[in-house]
Amino acid sequence: MIQKSVFLRCQPQEAFELFATRISEWWPVTHRPTKDPESELFLEESGRFWELARDGREMELGRVRVWEPPHRLALDFYLGTNAEQPTAVEITFTAEDEGTRVTVHHQAKPESADLWNQRAPVFERSWESVLGNLCVTMSA
Amino acid sequence: MHPLDALGNPIRRKILKQLRGSSLSVHEIAERFPVSRPAISRHLRVLTQSGLVETHGAGPRHRYAIRLKGFAPVREFLDEFWDTALARLEALSRK
Repeated sequence: MIQKSVFLRCQPQEAFELFATRISEWWPVTHRPTKDPESELFLEESGRFWELARDGREMELGRVRVWEPPHRLALDFYLGTNAEQPTAVEITFTAEDEGTRVTVHHQAKPESADLWNQRAPVFERSWESVLGNLCVTMSA
Repeated sequence: MHPLDALGNPIRRKILKQLRGSSLSVHEIAERFPVSRPAISRHLRVLTQSGLVETHGAGPRHRYAIRLKGFAPVREFLDEFWDTALARLEALSRK
């Protein structure tokens, strides 16, 4: 389970809109299939989560499972794995002080459990046997 | 190829499982799979290029082994992604 959060100085409604409606403006280019900062991304109430390349190609990045503005979004997430083995992302928008706490929970689904956990078993034994390398790997 | 794309293939995941015990030659790997040796070689090339597997020795002693360092980006791929993404979201909210 990955959990990350960020505090935004705006109301939950605005935070939700930034996240969903203006996703093209902040989604890192490294994680766009096109690697193109000018491509457009769409996170839609209809369920589609996709990228529109400048040449007109459309690529599905996931699937919207829960659309509850301004508090909650949940997605099946294809990036990093694939459409057959999606991971699950939940984003919550909670009013806090003078702003909004945006929290991301990201975890495997049953379909992606072996992919998500694959890495641990693969290394566990290697790492046990080469503890010296562990520090090198971690700090690399 | 990104390590996660390399891991998207079931044969390649099985090859990695075989390699986690000890390094193996292409023959030793091929005889454990019902696919041709050229196919295994192609998978090994992908694994090597994506940094998940490294080679040792030359000629008949040529062996494949797990490359420990190659797995760090896989493990951290999604984790790092959200660090970057939320930092960008925060920057956008301040504009």
